[in-house]
Amino acid sequence: MNTRIKNIVVCVSMAIILFSLTALCLFMPKEDFLEAERREPESFPDFTFENVMKDGVEYNDSFMSKFEKYAIDAFPFRDSFRTLKAIFANYVFCQKDNNDIYIADGQASKIEYPLKEDMIEYASQKFKYLYETYMKGKTDSIYLSIIPDKNYFIAEQNGYLALDYDRLNEMIVGSADFAEYIDIYDLLEIDDYYKTDTHWRQEAITQVAKKILEAMGSFVETDYKVNTLDHPFYGVYYGQAALPMKPDTIKYLTSDTLDSCIVTSYAKGVPMKTTVYDMKKAVGRDPYEMFLGGADPLIIIENPNAKNDKELVIFRDSFGSSISPLLVEGYSKVTLVDIRYMQSTMVGNYVNFENADVLFLYSTLILNTAKIFN
Amino acid sequence: MVFSSITYLFYFFAAFIILYFAVPFKLKNAVLLTFSLLFYAWGGVKYALLMVLAIFIGYTFGLLIEKFRQNKKITLFFMWFAVISIIAFMLYFKYTNFFIDNFNKLTGMSLAFLKITLPVGISFYTFQTISYVIDVYRGVPAQKNLIDLAAYVSMFPQLIAGPIVRYVDVAAELKERTHSIDRVAEGIRRFIIGLGKKILIADRLSQLGDLIKGMDEKTVLLYWIYGISVALYIYFDFSGYSDMAIGLGRMFGFKFLENFNYPYISKSATEFWRRWHMSLGSWFRDYVYIPLGGNRVSKLRHVFNIFVVWFLTGFWHGAAWNFIIWGLFFGVLLLIEKFFTLKYLEKSKVICHIYTLMAAILSFVIFNATDMKEGFAYIGGMFGAGGIPFVSAETLYYLHSYAVIFVLAIIGATPIVKNTAIKLSESKKLGKIVNILEPVLIIVIFLVSVSYLVDGSFSPFLYFRF
Repeated sequence: MNTRIKNIVVCVSMAIILFSLTALCLFMPKEDFLEAERREPESFPDFTFENVMKDGVEYNDSFMSKFEKYAIDAFPFRDSFRTLKAIFANYVFCQKDNNDIYIADGQASKIEYPLKEDMIEYASQKFKYLYETYMKGKTDSIYLSIIPDKNYFIAEQNGYLALDYDRLNEMIVGSADFAEYIDIYDLLEIDDYYKTDTHWRQEAITQVAKKILEAMGSFVETDYKVNTLDHPFYGVYYGQAALPMKPDTIKYLTSDTLDSCIVTSYAKGVPMKTTVYDMKKAVGRDPYEMFLGGADPLIIIENPNAKNDKELVIFRDSFGSSISPLLVEGYSKVTLVDIRYMQSTMVGNYVNFENADVLFLYSTLILNTAKIFN
Repeated sequence: MVFSSITYLFYFFAAFIILYFAVPFKLKNAVLLTFSLLFYAWGGVKYALLMVLAIFIGYTFGLLIEKFRQNKKITLFFMWFAVISIIAFMLYFKYTNFFIDNFNKLTGMSLAFLKITLPVGISFYTFQTISYVIDVYRGVPAQKNLIDLAAYVSMFPQLIAGPIVRYVDVAAELKERTHSIDRVAEGIRRFIIGLGKKILIADRLSQLGDLIKGMDEKTVLLYWIYGISVALYIYFDFSGYSDMAIGLGRMFGFKFLENFNYPYISKSATEFWRRWHMSLGSWFRDYVYIPLGGNRVSKLRHVFNIFVVWFLTGFWHGAAWNFIIWGLFFGVLLLIEKFFTLKYLEKSKVICHIYTLMAAILSFVIFNATDMKEGFAYIGGMFGAGGIPFVSAETLYYLHSYAVIFVLAIIGATPIVKNTAIKLSESKKLGKIVNILEPVLIIVIFLVSVSYLVDGSFSPFLYFRF
């Protein structure tokens, strides 16, 4: 190829790429939801005199600033380009992580580093507040368990930055002298978590549930039926990693007791009847939300088959959604409180702690970002 | 608007190309001007009006100087009036709050800061306008066509981050220029190499620098990683932008002068500044240093002239003391070299490079600091001040994660790649393969750069603030 032909090839090929992508930017139908990133894209900004006259990039709400975001979100083949970037970062630049996401031992995970002691301190103070405000003098059956995130199993071994888990446990457990600590670290391994998601797999944590129930003196032997969801599960890290990965499969456990439980959700501020497993959400944007319907400030599970009138209150995060059904058998009522979505000062209006068992069950990921507690 | 954005590449640029090549030559400057104003107004409509004012000042006083050329006193007055007017609004928008801040510190008063936003690229277009007026005063014919002059001052390829293009260098091309496949291809190559330098190298190193700044526990090695990454980041950011500007100019028939010539292979600070931001260096030489008398004065006056130039060089980069110190740091180094060490440095083969690189790294740590306190703290950290550990797991992690980018950046900062490519293309056997691979490589760099833009967020250029 001589120089002249080479120059023609450069001009023609670049013109084709540039104008094709421009045409697609202009005319290709826009997504109303970015599945891989689980968010809505920036919409086309209002073209008003006021918005245009604002200083371009200086103001986040100017027409120009919003258009920049819109143009990126609406770019054709966005996911494919993100995958190209991830492949380049991983395999050409040999970067250890891509946007803090890494894949090790077939598992996608997000770097959580360093240990934020102020966050852990904040979480401890919050737990103490809840104890002193609502539980002190009403119940002595208070328990605490910490769920290790995936990094605990794969980060350090694969050369990634990892939290100081010993220090985290020491801080949380040390300050919660009102609670009995239930150590579940040894019962878990990396395969107990979804490969593409942050959460643990319900079918893999029955032993964890058993240990917690035994510690609380409420264990009842239960035969669960394992059900497999006929819908691929692309977890939250799948979209963030943007690397080719096989989807996970969600399995969920059912029993006669769980089938007969009455579940009341307060997600919309008023009590609404729902079910332990929300099968609409199982085929929705985040299938993990099938477990008790996802994020919810307050959920009450009533067990009509209970052989006692014991009640359990769980202060929990999203990991609690999948394990809570496995704790129901030993109680007549289980109340799940998520203080990320409910003010701690309001908890007493909804929850009765009198003689109830109380379990603080949080993942290390949430404890290390505890400022989100209200 | 920045070149490394989806908005620029797939909306603005695509539309511009179609219109620019669709219209006859006599309308090309009008199209260039219209799109340049749009390009600039994207960052703030009202600041586009400010630029239009600068253009009118330059145009009007250029014509007045031309008209009264026989009368030296009047032309001198017009020249100074135009220069001072343009400098005045640059001083107002860029430096007012700096002066207020220092006045408050000196007097203990608390004058309120003004709510002023720095218009992007003000330092570049004002310097171009000033050079135009001075050049006309010195005898260059004034531009009578307002659109042509406005197209020169506002020309979007070099409007917001240089290089500082002199009017005399493009005057002929404003009137008549040729467009060809070969020039467009050359421009595309240069633009995409610049885009890759900015997005694939500079932005990654900037990301690392930000990560390090945010870390609570730092180590000696981490401070060095920071220093090296900042020095490389600033080079790739700025030279990448210059490459894009030069490439765009080439596509549209202009030949802008080079702005960088592998500064990190220099053997002295003196040589470094002959290779770094050459358009700014030559601007200060021609419009400040030489008018002050240059080196054809007493030794003391010569030293004074050098300090004035380096003070202004630093101050031009930003309204903060760390920029002034950065400029004066080079002023001192250049003086020491001029009077003492240059002859020894030029004889050495290794020490001169280590010395120059050290000087560059330390200077850019100051340059990139938010204030002098941070700058000195970081330099102290590089030499173990505060008894910090030498290394940590976190340091090694980031060193490992960015090792390939560092290696590519270091190689890319030398002429090795360019020289190898030239040698290979001249080879009879390999030349054909290189010719085939070159377009492929250009397309790959472009698509990967776009993929980083799509994955990431808006990434403004460092030199925007100057």
